Amino acid sequence: MRAGRLILYVVLIFLAFVYLLPLWSAITTSLKTGKQVTMTTPIQLVLPPYFGAYKTAFSELRKPILNSLLFTTFATIFSVMIGSITGYALSKLLKGSTSKKLLMFITLGIFLPYQSILIPLLRIITKLGLYNTIPGMILTHTAYGVPITTLLFTNYYHEVPDELIEAAKVDGASPLKIYTSVVFPISIPAFVVTAIYQFTNIWNDYLFGVVLTRGEEAMPATVKLANLKGSFVANWNIQMAGALIVAIPTLFIMIVLGKYLIRGYTSGAVKG
Amino acid sequence: MAEVRLINVWKRFGDVIAVKDMNLEVRDGEFMILLGPSGCGKTTTLRMIAGLEEPTKGQIYIGDKLVADPEKGVFIPPKDRDIAMVFQSYALYPHMTVYDNIAFPLKLRKVPKQEIDRRVREVAEMLGLTELLNRKPRELSGGQRQRVALGRAIVRKPKVFLMDEPLSNLDAKLRVKMRAELKKLQRQLGVTTIYVTHDQVEAMTMGDRIAVINQGVLQQVGTPDEVYDKPANTFVAGFIGTPPMNFMDATITEDGFADFGEFKLKLLPDQFEALEDGGYIGREVIFGIRPEDIYDAMFAQVKIPGENMVRAIVEIIENLGSEKIVHLRVGRITFLGSFRAESKVKENQEVDVVFDMRKIHTFDKKTGKTIF
Amino acid sequence: MRSKLREESLYSLLFLTPAIALVLVFVYFAIAWNVYISFTDWKGLIPSYRFVGLENYRTLFHDPVFWTSFRNNIILIILFVPGSLFIGLLLAVLLDRKIKFENGFRTIYTLPFALSFVVTATLWAWMYDPSDGVLNTLFSMLHLDFLKSNWITDPHVALYAVILALIWQFSGYTMVIYLAGLRSISTEQYEAAIIDGATPLQLYRYVIIPQLKKPTLSAFVVLMVFSLKAFDFIWVLTSGGPGTSTFILAVEMYKETFAKTKFAYGASIATILLLLSFAIVLPYLYWSYRGEKE
Repeated sequence: MRAGRLILYVVLIFLAFVYLLPLWSAITTSLKTGKQVTMTTPIQLVLPPYFGAYKTAFSELRKPILNSLLFTTFATIFSVMIGSITGYALSKLLKGSTSKKLLMFITLGIFLPYQSILIPLLRIITKLGLYNTIPGMILTHTAYGVPITTLLFTNYYHEVPDELIEAAKVDGASPLKIYTSVVFPISIPAFVVTAIYQFTNIWNDYLFGVVLTRGEEAMPATVKLANLKGSFVANWNIQMAGALIVAIPTLFIMIVLGKYLIRGYTSGAVKG
Repeated sequence: MAEVRLINVWKRFGDVIAVKDMNLEVRDGEFMILLGPSGCGKTTTLRMIAGLEEPTKGQIYIGDKLVADPEKGVFIPPKDRDIAMVFQSYALYPHMTVYDNIAFPLKLRKVPKQEIDRRVREVAEMLGLTELLNRKPRELSGGQRQRVALGRAIVRKPKVFLMDEPLSNLDAKLRVKMRAELKKLQRQLGVTTIYVTHDQVEAMTMGDRIAVINQGVLQQVGTPDEVYDKPANTFVAGFIGTPPMNFMDATITEDGFADFGEFKLKLLPDQFEALEDGGYIGREVIFGIRPEDIYDAMFAQVKIPGENMVRAIVEIIENLGSEKIVHLRVGRITFLGSFRAESKVKENQEVDVVFDMRKIHTFDKKTGKTIF
Repeated sequence: MRSKLREESLYSLLFLTPAIALVLVFVYFAIAWNVYISFTDWKGLIPSYRFVGLENYRTLFHDPVFWTSFRNNIILIILFVPGSLFIGLLLAVLLDRKIKFENGFRTIYTLPFALSFVVTATLWAWMYDPSDGVLNTLFSMLHLDFLKSNWITDPHVALYAVILALIWQFSGYTMVIYLAGLRSISTEQYEAAIIDGATPLQLYRYVIIPQLKKPTLSAFVVLMVFSLKAFDFIWVLTSGGPGTSTFILAVEMYKETFAKTKFAYGASIATILLLLSFAIVLPYLYWSYRGEKE
C-alpha cells in the first residue's frame, strides 16, 4: 500500500513536469538574450535574467492589451447581466415546455461552429459601422457569450427553490423587485463563476479578433501575439515573452480563482 | 379579519384534475385544516387561495372581495390579497438577516421605517427572536427558522394566514411543542388561518375544523370530534385515527344481526331500524369499528349482551407501553384491537374480545357513504 | 384584472428580449445568411448575391484540398477525442485517491486549458522547433535521439504533433469533468464494493466507470464540436502546413474566405461544418433535454 502511494505520487509529479514543460521553457527562454537562447538549452534558467525581450514584446503588445482589457471587461459584464435576467425568466417566470424550448433555442448557440456565421458577422458589423472598433468587439462577444451565460444561470436558478420566489410574491414583490432584492443577491456565486468564465473565454479569443479588426485601434492581444510570430521569426525570447504577457490574466485567474473557473467548466461549459 | 369562500372551484393541470368542484367556507378567525394524503389537492387549494395558482373554474372570495373567477376574468395577484403564507421549507431569504426577513414585506409596502422597526421588534418579542435579529437564516436551528417564517407572516397583520405543512421539517419533539405554540398564537391573533397537513394528529389537535380531501374531492368538513365520531364515508373513517378503523364486510340478517360469516354481532335496535329504513336487510354492508372500541373481555368497561363476545386468535402484539395493539383473527377475518396495558394476552393464544356496539359504523358497500 | 398573468408575461418579455434578439440576429439569421451566400457566386471583396445553386458544393466535392481537410479532420477526431477522454479519465482517477496537494496538481493539469490557443500555439512552436526547440534539445540531453523529429515541419508528423499538443491542452478539461463525475458518486458505493470484495481495478471497471456515462457524453460532444471548429491553434502553429498536411475544414474555410476572398466558396465549407456539428449536437441535446424530463 505504501509503495503504491509512492508510485502514485511519482507518477503525478512526473505528469506535472510534462504539463508544465511548455510553460517552463517559455519562462526560461523569455528571460534570455537572443544569444543565450541559442547557447543554452531551453530547460536551463540563465541568471541573472535578461528583461529586454519583455520590454520589446510589451511595447508591441501594449495597445492591443488595453484593447483586449477594455472589450473583454464590457462584453463580460453585458453577457453576464443578460445571461442572468434571461436565466431568471426561463427558470422562474416561465414554466414548462415554453421555457424549455426557449432555453434550447438560445443555448444551441453554444455549439455553433463560428465559421458558419463568420461571413454574415463580418457583414453585420461592417454595416453597423463597427468594423475595427471596440464596440464592435463588445457587441460580438456579448452576442456569442449569451448562450453559455444563459445556460449557466438557468442551471443555477433551477437550484433556487420556487418557494423562495413565491414567498417574495406573497410578501408583495413584483417580478422586477424579486429579481433585484432576492434573486440577484443570492446569485453572487453564479455571477463570479460566469464572469470569470466569460472573461477567460473572451480574452482568449482569436477568430473574431482576426476577422473583425485590422489596425491597432481595436486589435486584441491574441491577434497581435500571432502577428509577432511573423515579425520576430526565430526571436524565441521575444515570442515567449509575448506569449506569457498575453497569458498573464488567464494564468492569474486559473491559479488564484481556479475553483470558480473549474465550476464554470463543469456546469455544462464549453471552450470556444 | 376575513372569511374565505371557495365556490365550485376546479383546478386542472393538463389532463390531471387536481381539485374537483370544491366548496368550502372558512369562517372569520377560524383555524381550518386541509387534511389529506399527499397529492390529494390540498396544497393546490391553498395555493389557489394564495394566488400562486389560478383556478380553472369557480370563484374564490376573501372577505367580501372576489379574488379569483376565471369566467369573469378576475384574478387578484398574491400581493393584493392581504394574505401571508408560511411555506414548508420556510423560504427565508438566505442573504437577509432575521430582521430584514421579517421587515421585507413591510418594506415592499413602503411602511415608514420607524413603524417597521416597532413592528419587527414586537413580533420578534412575541416569538422569542429578539436575540437573533442580526443572524442570517443559515445560523439558525430548524425551530428558529420556523419562527422567523411565522414572524414574516405575522408582521403584516394580514387578513388570512396560509400555512403549507409548516411543521413537517421539524423533529418530532419540536413539532409537538410548536403545535401548541402555533395554536396559542392563532388564538391570540384571531386571524383566519388555513393550514395544510397530511398529519392527522396535527389536524386533530390544532384545527377548529378539518376539511378532509381525497383525490381532489372534499370528503367532509367538521370539527375534530365530528370527523372522528361521525365520518362521512369510509375514506374519512379510515384516514383519521391510528391505528385505523377496522373494516369488515357483513350481511344484515332479518333477525337483527351483522353476519360476518365466521361470527355474528347483535345490532342495537335503532341501528337495525336505520338499516331497515335504508333497505339494507339481507344485503352486504361495510362494517367499521375503531380498535379502541374492541376490548379484551376481561377488562371490558362496557355492559355487553353475551352474543357480542367473540373468541379470537392473537397473532401479533405491538406493545406501546400505554396500550397494546393486538392483531386478531377469527377464521379468515382479521382486525386490530387496542387493549389496555394490563391485558394479559399472549401471541398465538385465544382471547375473548368484546365489540362496543354503540360505537360501530356502517357504510354502503357501493358508495362507501356512511349509513350511520 | 388578470394582472398576475399580464404582469408576469410582460416581465418575461422584458427580460428575454435582449437574449432572444441577439441570438436571433447573430445565430439564426447569420446561419441562414451564410447558407444563402453559399448558393451565390460572391468572390472578391464586393458582395455579390447572384444565385448559382449548388455550384460551390459541386466544386467543393471535386476539390482535393477539401478531401484532404476532411480526412485530416477525421484523423483529428479519431485520435484527439478518445485521447483527451482517456488521459483526462486517467488523471481524474489518479487525483481521486485522497492526494495531498490535490488542488495544486489539479491546477497544474488544468492550466493549459485556461490559456488562449494563440498562447499555446506559440509555446508549442518553440517546443516543436526542429533545430533548437525544447523537445529535440531535451531528447538529446536524455540520449533519446530516436525520439527526435522534425515535428511540425515534417508533413508526415505535423498533424500528429498538433493532435498531441491539443490533447495536452484539453486533458485538463476532461479531467475536471470526470473528477466532478467521480465526486458525485457516493462514498457508500465505494465502501459497498470493497465489502463485496472488489479489487480497485474491479471497482473502477464495474462500479465507477459505468456511472461516468453522462460526463463522458458531455465531454465527448464538446471535444467533437471543437475538432470541427478548431482553427486558432492550428492556424497560428502551422497555418495548415507544411503543404496541406494540417489542413482541416475550419482552416480551409478561413483560407478560402479571407486569404483568397472566395466568400461564397468559404460559406459552403462553413455550411458543411455546421451540418456536421449539428449532426453531433442535436441528438445530444435531444437526449439530454429528454433525460431531464424523466
